[in-house]
Amino acid sequence: MNLFQPFTIPYMQRALVEVLVLGALAGAVGVLVVLRRLAFVGDALTHTVFPGVVIAHLLGRSLLAGALAFGVLTAVLLTTLGSHRRVGDDAALAILLTSFFSLGVVLISRTPGFTADLTVFLFGRVLAIDRTDLVQTLAVAAVAAITLAALHKELVLRAFDPQAAAAMGYRTRRLDLALNLLIALVVVAAVEAVGTVLVIALMVVPAAAARLLTDRVAAMTALASLLGAAGGWLGLAVSYEVSVDHDLRLAAGATIVIVLVGLFLLATAVAPLRRRLAARSQVAAAEALR
Amino acid sequence: MSGLPGLFADGFARRALLEAVMVGGLCGAVGVHVLLRRLPFFTMALGHATFPGVVLAALAGISLFAGAAAFGAVVVVMVALLGTRDRVDDTSAVGVTLSGAFALGVLLLSAQAGFTRDLTAYLVGSIITVQAADLVTTAVVGVAVLAALAALHKELVLGAFDRGGLAALGYPVLALDVALLLLIEATVVTSIPAVGTILAVALIVAPAAAARLWTERLAATMALAAALGAASGVVGLAISLQWRVAAGATIVLVAGAVFAVSLLVAPRHGLLARRTSAAPAPTRAG
Repeated sequence: MNLFQPFTIPYMQRALVEVLVLGALAGAVGVLVVLRRLAFVGDALTHTVFPGVVIAHLLGRSLLAGALAFGVLTAVLLTTLGSHRRVGDDAALAILLTSFFSLGVVLISRTPGFTADLTVFLFGRVLAIDRTDLVQTLAVAAVAAITLAALHKELVLRAFDPQAAAAMGYRTRRLDLALNLLIALVVVAAVEAVGTVLVIALMVVPAAAARLLTDRVAAMTALASLLGAAGGWLGLAVSYEVSVDHDLRLAAGATIVIVLVGLFLLATAVAPLRRRLAARSQVAAAEALR
Repeated sequence: MSGLPGLFADGFARRALLEAVMVGGLCGAVGVHVLLRRLPFFTMALGHATFPGVVLAALAGISLFAGAAAFGAVVVVMVALLGTRDRVDDTSAVGVTLSGAFALGVLLLSAQAGFTRDLTAYLVGSIITVQAADLVTTAVVGVAVLAALAALHKELVLGAFDRGGLAALGYPVLALDVALLLLIEATVVTSIPAVGTILAVALIVAPAAAARLWTERLAATMALAAALGAASGVVGLAISLQWRVAAGATIVLVAGAVFAVSLLVAPRHGLLARRTSAAPAPTRAG
């Protein structure tokens, strides 16, 4: 299989840049998602930006602006609703997710040919993104990356020790809102190009794999970014190769997800081995000290 | 509106009405257990993960119910297995399984060049085209699930509140867990013709969450949740017939609205009632 030859074609180049940027960004944010067990929040946001996209589409405005508006609205609602004791954050999430998604479906069901629009939203069209899409993705990704870099220390502290974070004077509710907004930014940057399913996969799967392979947060973040980008690259190459040379059409976005899940399963197989090696080196270090 | 009887005069509308009442009631009752065990994300994942089963069944020309049910069972096992690894928490296990299974469905679909059967109906539902056979399936599965829930009620409730106690009394905890997951799976699969794989979770979670705001007693919660689920189905269907919008999504919006109103005005746990006696809320990110 050739990892470079397909990417001489312009549309494959654009797709490659898109998945490399998104894979690296979603991997880094995904570590916080996995550490805080917020996979459901990511899944919810991929669905709740849908009505924003539909409304923007109906009004003839920028789809990105519509998605951004609903992403921010969801992040705020999640942070406030999640603290209602009798409801519970997971129930609030499920209701918000399905209600917003339904709103989008109801709005778009009035327009002809809505099943095609719905399919694009769910499955993406990574091979059909143009220069404007790419620039928009890069801009939103840059904002998300800067926010992540600026707040990383605080967010990690909040993940491991909320009491200490509160005692040190950080507003934990604001940090929670910041993380929810960060997830929303990743979703908004990605959803139009790659579809909802790929976004959630890019955010959760590489980070979960990286968590199996290392205990240090910095290494986990680097590894998750690397796995996300590598999975994107490999998935695109496989889907191109199979589609062109073997005449079996494989959807690019879905192939990337399957490759990522493959990498994750590989990590679950390697993890016990690594644990044993680490334990042995600790024993060796202890004996050397004696 | 031109009156409910006029709206439901046609055969297809009456079938849809019956399906909406049955699915809404079943989902509402099961939803109380889903909330007690904090399983909404798992239920969501089941909805997504039955998709490849539906595609495979459509390709093989067998019952879509059978395909969805078989794949749902695979997911139950996958999540249970992944969740036992000490460094993969339940949420991430569900996330990985959800996206992997859904992508598999998309992949299978895209590999079929001449695939014409419209699967949007299975994503967002198509209650208007429900057939008599679907109604029979819903009725049979619904009665079976409700009977199982009633028979295991004491054990399931104890398991939700006190797993240690359940184990100490000698009950098979794991078997009961799997039984409940399979009951939820059966409910999700049964809801697919009405509201589709993605929106089934709404009918399970929203009426139960609304009912929990009104009453503290479990039996009353289940009855109220079933009633609210069935009512959401009827009202949503009527609105969708009147204004010609997507039926499944409208039903879900009505269920969401019922929850939103309950959240505001419920006597003890509603936001308006709480404003007078503001207790410090636990800080947990949503």
